[in-house]
Amino acid sequence: MTTVLRAETIAAGYNASRIVDGVSLTVNAGEVVAVLGPNGSGKSTLIKTIAGLIPLSAGTVTIGAEDVSGLDASARALAGLAYVPQEHNVFREMTVWENLALAYEFLPRARADSTEVMALFPVLNDRLAVKAGRLSGGERQMLAFACALIARPKVLLLDEPSAGLSPRYVEEIVATIQQVSASGLGVLLIEQNAAAALKIASKAIVLVAGQVRHAGSADEIARDESVRKLYLGGED
Amino acid sequence: MLSQTLVNGIATGLVTALPALALTLVFGVMRFANFAIGATLTFGAYAAYYFNVGLGLPLFVSAVISAAITAALCVLVNRLVYQNLPGASGITLLVASMGVAFLLENFVRFIYGNSVRGYQIQAVRPWRLLDLRISQEQIVNIAVALGCLALIWLLLYRTSMGRAMRAVADNPSLAAARGIRPARVISGTFALSGALTGLAGVLIGVDGAVEPLSGYNYIIPVFAAAILGGIGDPVGAVVGALVLGVVEEMSSLVLPSTYRSGIAFVVMAVVLMVRPWGLFGTEPIKK
Amino acid sequence: MMGYLPTLLSLLAVAIAVGLALNMQWGLGGLVNFGLAGFYAVGAYTAALLSLAGVPPLAAAFAAMVVTAILSGLVSFVSLRLAEDHLAIVTLGFAELVHLAMLNEIWLTRGSLGLPGIPRPLSTFVAPAYSDLAFAALALALVALVYVLLECLAISPFGRALRAVRDDDVVAATLGKNVLWIRMQAFGVSGAALGLAGALHAFYYNYIDPGQFGPIITATAFMAVIMGGRGSNLGVIIGAATVLLLIEGSRFLKDAFLFLDATQIASVRLMLIGLGLILLLIFRPQGLLSERRANSKHLTGGP
Repeated sequence: MTTVLRAETIAAGYNASRIVDGVSLTVNAGEVVAVLGPNGSGKSTLIKTIAGLIPLSAGTVTIGAEDVSGLDASARALAGLAYVPQEHNVFREMTVWENLALAYEFLPRARADSTEVMALFPVLNDRLAVKAGRLSGGERQMLAFACALIARPKVLLLDEPSAGLSPRYVEEIVATIQQVSASGLGVLLIEQNAAAALKIASKAIVLVAGQVRHAGSADEIARDESVRKLYLGGED
Repeated sequence: MLSQTLVNGIATGLVTALPALALTLVFGVMRFANFAIGATLTFGAYAAYYFNVGLGLPLFVSAVISAAITAALCVLVNRLVYQNLPGASGITLLVASMGVAFLLENFVRFIYGNSVRGYQIQAVRPWRLLDLRISQEQIVNIAVALGCLALIWLLLYRTSMGRAMRAVADNPSLAAARGIRPARVISGTFALSGALTGLAGVLIGVDGAVEPLSGYNYIIPVFAAAILGGIGDPVGAVVGALVLGVVEEMSSLVLPSTYRSGIAFVVMAVVLMVRPWGLFGTEPIKK
Repeated sequence: MMGYLPTLLSLLAVAIAVGLALNMQWGLGGLVNFGLAGFYAVGAYTAALLSLAGVPPLAAAFAAMVVTAILSGLVSFVSLRLAEDHLAIVTLGFAELVHLAMLNEIWLTRGSLGLPGIPRPLSTFVAPAYSDLAFAALALALVALVYVLLECLAISPFGRALRAVRDDDVVAATLGKNVLWIRMQAFGVSGAALGLAGALHAFYYNYIDPGQFGPIITATAFMAVIMGGRGSNLGVIIGAATVLLLIEGSRFLKDAFLFLDATQIASVRLMLIGLGLILLLIFRPQGLLSERRANSKHLTGGP
């Protein structure tokens, strides 16, 4: 079981505040790890910190065997990390083709042969000359996903990939995640739709107020009463 | 008469288009208005002067060398000044660029003084084309400017470097997530911007005169053009410059020519009050 | 050397006034004004034309302040759509228009011939031998008044509102502050200080022409404000004094470096200021004062 991503007691925040504190997690190849928690618990901050967009106040982040704690986002991308933000995850003024080209031309580990990846997203093949801003929400999400995968990353960070999508697209996203993780990619997934996330994840952590409140296998978390209360009771 | 105005306007507009494009490209990746653009125009003009009049090289060769030197200068200035102000706001960088402008312009003035100079070029009588009078300078300016714009267009829209520049201008964090190193793109943008501006400085010197204030006098029109088109938008900068050029020429039909430079100011003020994001820009959302 | 002191003090008064004006606009308000020289020139020409027409110079100075204040406020109206980084270029454009008007409206300004024989305030009360000294004292007194006024404004609720707008104009607007009106007021008040500076310039030199109002004025103001720590009025005084020493000191360069002509000395001066601006912004953005004064904690510089 190779570890593709490890975060050890990381802390991060804006200015002096610590939005995320003492969080540790591990993602192994072929695993899907879900990050759950109520709104405002710091899930997005956590993933941005791991991606390198927010500097670490404490702790370490390792991708594969490489310590990337001091590296910026572009260096982490080079190390094998692919990050799909929740919003603004494509370049709207560029065409689908340009977005895809941009996704691999600066990452040497990406191989030019993208047919495997493009096979996962047939809808994009018909839309190569269309500006990304003109795609539907679901298509844009597909594009963002494709751009992340085309870089042949070791670990994929997904921030709420199904947010605002119609059920059909949600199904496709879920199926694609399962497919890519089966092929050896590690996936760290933030998902508001806890039930769906727990179905495809093998491990999960629950983040509350920036700290890990629960951690365990997906089954354990799904069956945990206190977690269910957190979600069925306090969430909107 | 009207078509002559149009031709004149397009000729001056095309020359302004180059520094306007340079300004907008830097704004796109660095989010600040580079006030040193004027002094850079002057520097480019004088660098070519040194090679043309000082060393006797043909003007065309001098212009190319000047573009290269100016490009290098801008990359150096960026490394030494703007990159040493990490996290600085656009306003602070603007003030820093004013400092750079003082340095550059007065360096030139220190060496060459205030006297008006000219390049060594053969005087040729203007062409007459369908009742229009086009000087050789105008032809050269139009040709060179169009050539540059075509090259830039190819670079921006057909190469990976161009895609990277547009990406960083659109969404720097997403660009980083794609493995694009911001520092390299910024350096490249300054080099491109410097080359364009240096060349434009020569064109201005060819059309008018070579003097320390020549670049400074272009600051307002260049900014007005970029703002009119939508600052940050390359196509907008070019269109804005052309529109402004034509408007300026037309205004000289009704206004005394001494106040011609006031037109750019008025255009800019109006745009900023009515539609600050310009013709091609989109209303900004604070990210 | 004693004969030089009144000169130095008069120029210092003018430099402080210009610095204080920019400090309110940029230090407290976050609004960069690259057209300072233009407003300064308006003040100078207004005071000169009025006093040459027979208006008592002090009244002419006051009128200059009012005119410049109004024009300043109007120009700042461009920031209607919160385009504050472009305000810098707009103010420059305005200054250029002023420059064109000075040169071309010969019926009013006599163009590049300039306006000679401008009388000084209180000149009838002072013996010619003491004229320079008296003027220096008057200039300092007037600028001191301006300082007190601006300092009071800085500490007042208006000052707080201005800083709030500087720090985040969008937030300030949603909190109900009329951002544009606050900016116009700040520009108006500081415009008055610029008008006074211009008037003092006209009275001091007794002769003005368009060539006197160049970038050195803007450069001096920016250096003074940055040195002083953007936001601190006291710092502006120190900054202005330092810049003035640099400028006046470089006059002696001519004797030391005989091979440099006047244009070159002038360029060296501006190069040094340009370099100084850059170095200060990089290495000492908080200004030269080594410690913050307690009451200026909330006054010092934003963007």
